[in-house]
Amino acid sequence: MTRPTDVKPREGEQPAALYKDWVVGAEFPPLPFTITRDVVQEYQSVVAADPANYVIKGRQAAPPNVVLVYMMAVMYRLYPPQQGGIMIGNTIEFHNPIWADEDTDVIGTGRVTEKFEKKGRKYICYDVDFKRPDGTRLVSCSHTSAFPE
Amino acid sequence: MSQETLRRVIPQTQAMFDAYGVLNGDNDIIHYDDQFAKDRGFRGTLGHGLMYTAYVCDLAAKRYGADWHYRGRLTVKYVRGVCPGDNLEVRLEPDGTVACQSQFDTTLVGSATLA
Repeated sequence: MTRPTDVKPREGEQPAALYKDWVVGAEFPPLPFTITRDVVQEYQSVVAADPANYVIKGRQAAPPNVVLVYMMAVMYRLYPPQQGGIMIGNTIEFHNPIWADEDTDVIGTGRVTEKFEKKGRKYICYDVDFKRPDGTRLVSCSHTSAFPE
Repeated sequence: MSQETLRRVIPQTQAMFDAYGVLNGDNDIIHYDDQFAKDRGFRGTLGHGLMYTAYVCDLAAKRYGADWHYRGRLTVKYVRGVCPGDNLEVRLEPDGTVACQSQFDTTLVGSATLA
């Protein structure tokens, strides 16, 4: 079982990466984790998801976006978080189901794609891919956040 | 596939922000420290952007069914903060346009479609 808190550096616990530290093209180290049935159930609860919306040919799937609770952990392992980050946008693509009735081993990888300053804000863009260990693609995300420093 | 506008209204509370933070491990005080958030120009603590993303995804899964798991594509921008006390309406239009709107402002815009 891997709760996101098991693998995600927490804001304020270590010196934060600053805007100047981010390198476009830098690769995040692969992050292996397991989405357990308990995590799926807790996720459904905290996002008020209706399980009836996730049944595929009679089998209960998880909301595929459950994997997104691990997204920032992939990035934060290379660039420890700072307080006051604001999420700006996401483009997310779903490729294969994550099932609610089994544990799912996942490997998260990613890279910094862009950084820029605009109207006094410092923007960071990065991609994260989530795949099964056999290479089956689950979810991909292109993300933008703004940080104060 | 439903061609009507899908919508839900989900009242927002600090307890919901806290519960999401317990799961995802987010310790950013913008979600928990009211004064910190107000000092940065917001009405109060901010909800988690990916929590609202999940609300939108739930409507998309309802509309697109199994296809959503294999070729769903969601693009969202968080244009305003969501704070405790907001009555958040989440909508998915027939053309795939998505939005979240509180009694104060539009907070999220984007689209949920099939690739």
